Amino acid sequence: MSAAAEGAAGDATHDLDERDGTIADAVDAIVPASVCRPANTGAVREMVRRTTAQGLALVASGRGRHLAIGAPPTKLDLLLRLDRLDEILEHHAADMTVSVAAGCTLAALDRVLAAAGQWLPLDPPAPDATTIGGLIAANLSGPLRASQGTVRDLLLGLRWVSPQGELVSAGGRVVKNVAGYDLPKVHVGALGTLGVLVEATFKVRPRPPCERALVLACDDAQSAVELALDARDAVEPAWLEVASAGVLAGVDAPFAVVVGWLGLEEEVADAERRVHSLAEAGRAVVVATRDDADAGALRERLAAFALEPAAAVLRVATLPDAVGSLLVEATRLAGEAGETLRCVAHAANGVARIAVREPRSVAALVAALRPRLEAAGGSLVVERTAASVKHELASLGGMFGDPGPGRTLMRRLKDAFDPQHTFAPGRFVAGI
Amino acid sequence: MSLAPHRRGSTRDHPTLTTRLVDALRALVGPDAIVDRPEALLVYECDGYTLERGAPELVVLPRSPEQVAGVVRLLASEGIPFVPRGAGTGLSGGTLPIAAPVMVCTSRLQAIESIDVRNRRVVAQAGVVNLWITRQVQSAGLLYAPDPSSQTACTIGGNVAENSGGPHTLKYGVTTNHVLGVELVLPSGEVVQLGGAVEEGPGYDLTGIVVGSEGTFGIVTRATLRLTRAPEAYRTFLAVFESIDAASEAVSGIIGAGIVPAALEMMDALILQAVEAAFHAGLPLDAGAVLLVELDGPAAGLDTLAERVRAVCLRHGAREVRVAADDAERALLWKARKRAFGAVGRLAPNYCTQDGVVPRTRLPEIVRAIAATAQRHQLRIGNVFHAGDGNIHPIILFDERDQDEVRRVLEAGREILEACVALGGSVTGEHGIGVEKIAQMPLLFSPEDLLAMTRVRAVFDPDGRANPHKIFPDAKVCVETRAPRRQAAM
Repeated sequence: MSAAAEGAAGDATHDLDERDGTIADAVDAIVPASVCRPANTGAVREMVRRTTAQGLALVASGRGRHLAIGAPPTKLDLLLRLDRLDEILEHHAADMTVSVAAGCTLAALDRVLAAAGQWLPLDPPAPDATTIGGLIAANLSGPLRASQGTVRDLLLGLRWVSPQGELVSAGGRVVKNVAGYDLPKVHVGALGTLGVLVEATFKVRPRPPCERALVLACDDAQSAVELALDARDAVEPAWLEVASAGVLAGVDAPFAVVVGWLGLEEEVADAERRVHSLAEAGRAVVVATRDDADAGALRERLAAFALEPAAAVLRVATLPDAVGSLLVEATRLAGEAGETLRCVAHAANGVARIAVREPRSVAALVAALRPRLEAAGGSLVVERTAASVKHELASLGGMFGDPGPGRTLMRRLKDAFDPQHTFAPGRFVAGI
Repeated sequence: MSLAPHRRGSTRDHPTLTTRLVDALRALVGPDAIVDRPEALLVYECDGYTLERGAPELVVLPRSPEQVAGVVRLLASEGIPFVPRGAGTGLSGGTLPIAAPVMVCTSRLQAIESIDVRNRRVVAQAGVVNLWITRQVQSAGLLYAPDPSSQTACTIGGNVAENSGGPHTLKYGVTTNHVLGVELVLPSGEVVQLGGAVEEGPGYDLTGIVVGSEGTFGIVTRATLRLTRAPEAYRTFLAVFESIDAASEAVSGIIGAGIVPAALEMMDALILQAVEAAFHAGLPLDAGAVLLVELDGPAAGLDTLAERVRAVCLRHGAREVRVAADDAERALLWKARKRAFGAVGRLAPNYCTQDGVVPRTRLPEIVRAIAATAQRHQLRIGNVFHAGDGNIHPIILFDERDQDEVRRVLEAGREILEACVALGGSVTGEHGIGVEKIAQMPLLFSPEDLLAMTRVRAVFDPDGRANPHKIFPDAKVCVETRAPRRQAAM
C-alpha cells in the first residue's frame, strides 16, 4: 500500500464527503440514508468500521454504471462511492504488472498502459464508466475472454476492507504466487458481499500490433454456433462472437459470426485466409472485413450489448456446443409470446446474453429457460432489469437461480468474511 | 539412514486409532488397500521435501471417489485427522503427517472419466497422472496446458492442491487457470460438487480457492479441466551466455520487446554440467548460463518472432543462439530441462530446491544474492529458473550426513526467500507453503491477512482435521517446525 493510498488512515479527521441520499442514489429503488465519497483508503476504513459498529449495511459502488446487476439489497443505509480512489499506484512495465486503486476507471488505466505498449486484456462495456472495483465485483468481461480469460485469470492480488475496518490483503504483486489461499478469487463476481475492494494488482500483456475481424452471415443460430466452433478449431481466434439480427449495423442476415484476431500482420492475414476458405466451403458468406480501429470498434459494440437498452438482459451459460439450440429454443418461446429477442454469444465460452424487449416477457422466459439450463449444469442470471421485474422474479430463483451444491459453503463463506452482513445484504445468490 | 533428518512423531496430540476404526476401514477398501506395517510405511514418511520426515500410522489407498468419501466419513466418526496424498512429488512437505495418523492416498483413482473434444473439457479422477491427459487428447489436437517438471509422475489431485505450475505457465497460466470444477470430499465426509463443465456459474468461485489450498479443505477426488488447442508450430532455441547476469538481462529484454514466449527457462553452469552428464543434450559446459526459449502458436509469424528473440539475445551478449532443428532435438532439450532436478543427484548426495519469486526485472539482483549466500555459507547452489515468470529454483547441494552443512542449507534457504520478499516477490511460485515455508508466511501477510485465511479454512474444515499444521504459523506449529530443524542441524 502506498502512502498516498493509505492517506489519512491515522488522522483524526477523514475526508468522507458525506451527504444525505437522494432518489438519484437509489439501488434497485431503495434510497440509502447517506452517501459518502471517501478520499482515501483510510477514510474507507473509518466509514466501514462505523457502519458495522452501528449495525448498518452498505453497498459499495464505483461510478454506479453496473449497479443494476444483483438482487435488491435487503437493507441499505450507506452508499459508499469509491470513485475518488482513482490512483494508478504502481505500473511496472518491464514486470508487466500494475497495481491500481478500486475507483480508477478501465479507460484511465488503459491510457497509462497504452503508453507503455501494454493492455489489460479485459473488454467489458463502458470502460470509461467502469471502475476496477466494479470490474472485479461484477466479474465483467467482453469478447476478449475467448483468448485472454476473465478477471480471475489476470488478477494477482487484492486488498479489501473488512467489516471491522481492517485492511486485508491476499495474493501478491508477482505473476506467479501460491503463498496462502487464493482469496482474490472469491471476491471476483461477489458483488462486494465479502469486503470493500480498495486495491488490485493485475498482470498485463503486450498490446498486439494488429487486430482484424471477419463478419460472416448465417441463416440461423444453430449453424452460426457450429460455424463459430469450426472457426475456433481452424484458427484459434482472439475473439469469437455470434450475434442475432439487429445487433450489428449493416449485417442483413438472421445471425452473424464475428471472428477476430490479434497479432502480427502475417499471423492475422493467414488466419483471415483460412476463415475465408471455411466460408467458401459453402457455409456462410463473408460480409465484412474490419481492420485495427474498426475491428476494435466492432468488438466494443459486441461488448456493449451487455448494456443494451431492454426490459432485461439475461446471461445464460452452457457448454459452447449447446448455445445454438438454446438460442433457438429461447427465440421460439419468445416468439410464442409475441416477443423478438436479440442476442450475442461469446461462442468459445458458452456464454450468451439475451435482450428481452417487454417487461412482461421476462419472468416467463426465466421460468422456461432456467430449469433447462440448470439441469444441464448451466445457469441463467438476470443481469440487468428494473426493480419491479426483480421483485417478480423472486419466486423463480431470483436474479441468479440456484448456485448449486456449494450453496451451504457459500453462506458460511459469507459469514466468515462478514458475520454481521454489513456488505450488500441480499444482493447475491441464495439470499447472501 | 541412521543420521537421517528429523523424524516427527505423529502419534501425539490426536485421538488414537481404534481397532474398530481400522477394521471398518479395512472392510471398506479391502486388505490390499491398507498399509500399516512399519517397513511399508517408510515409503510415506516424506514427499519430495526430504529434510523432515515422519511416517503415518496407517495409509489407506481407496480405489474410487466413493471409497474416498467412505474413508473420510469413517475418520470423521472418530474425529481422526488425516493427510491427503497424491504421487508424493510435492516439494514443500505438504504430505508430511503432523498430528495426523492416517494418510489417504488418491493415487489409485486413475480414471479419465470423460473427454469432450468439441467443448475442450475433460473430467479426470485425482490419481490421473498429469501427462496421461495430454496423451489421451493429443490425437484430437488438444493438450492439458499445465506441465510441471514432474508431469510424468505427479497427479491431478496434487496439481489441484498445490496449484502447480511448470515451464509453459508463462503463456498458458497455472493449474487454476485450467480447472473449471472439482468434486471435494469435505472433512465431514460430505461430497460436494463445485463448479463444473460450464463456465461462470452463479455464486462464489469456490473452485478458485480449493485450487492451491494444499489439502486443507478436504480431498479433491475429481476435477473438470479445460483443454487447450495444441500449438500449430514451435520454435525452440538455446541461447548461450557468458554469465547468468547477461542471461537475466536478456529475459527482461525479451519481455520488454513485447514478446511473451510459451516458455523462458534458465539454467546456470552448475546445472548445465549435471544435466549434460545425464542426458548428453549437447549443452555447452563452459557457458555461464543458457536460456531455453520456446515460442509457439500459428506457423505464420513465428519466424518473425523467433528472429526478434534471437536479436534480443545477441544484443545482450549471447555468444550463440542454437535452434532446435526438429522435434527430437526439441524433446531432448525439454527432457534435459524437466529432469534437471534429478540430474543434480549426480553432484551431491542430497539437494534442496527453493521456490521463490521476484518481479522478473529483479532477477539479476536475486541471482547475485543467491551467489553471495552460497559463498557466505560455503554451499554449492545451482540455478534453474522459470525466468520469464521470475520464479527461481535455487538448488542447494549438500550431504545430509554433515549436520553442520544441513544447518547451513536451512539458513541459506531462509535467506534466499527473505531476499525474494525484500525484492517485492513471494516465497513460493508453485511448490506451496507446506511445512517448509510456514515460518516465512508472516513476511508476506499481516496477522489480519492470515486470520482471513484461517477463517476460510474453517468454512471447509471447522475441526482442522484435513492436513493439519500446514501453511499457517499458529503458535504450536512454529514450535514443531523450528525445533526439529535445529535438532536436525545439531
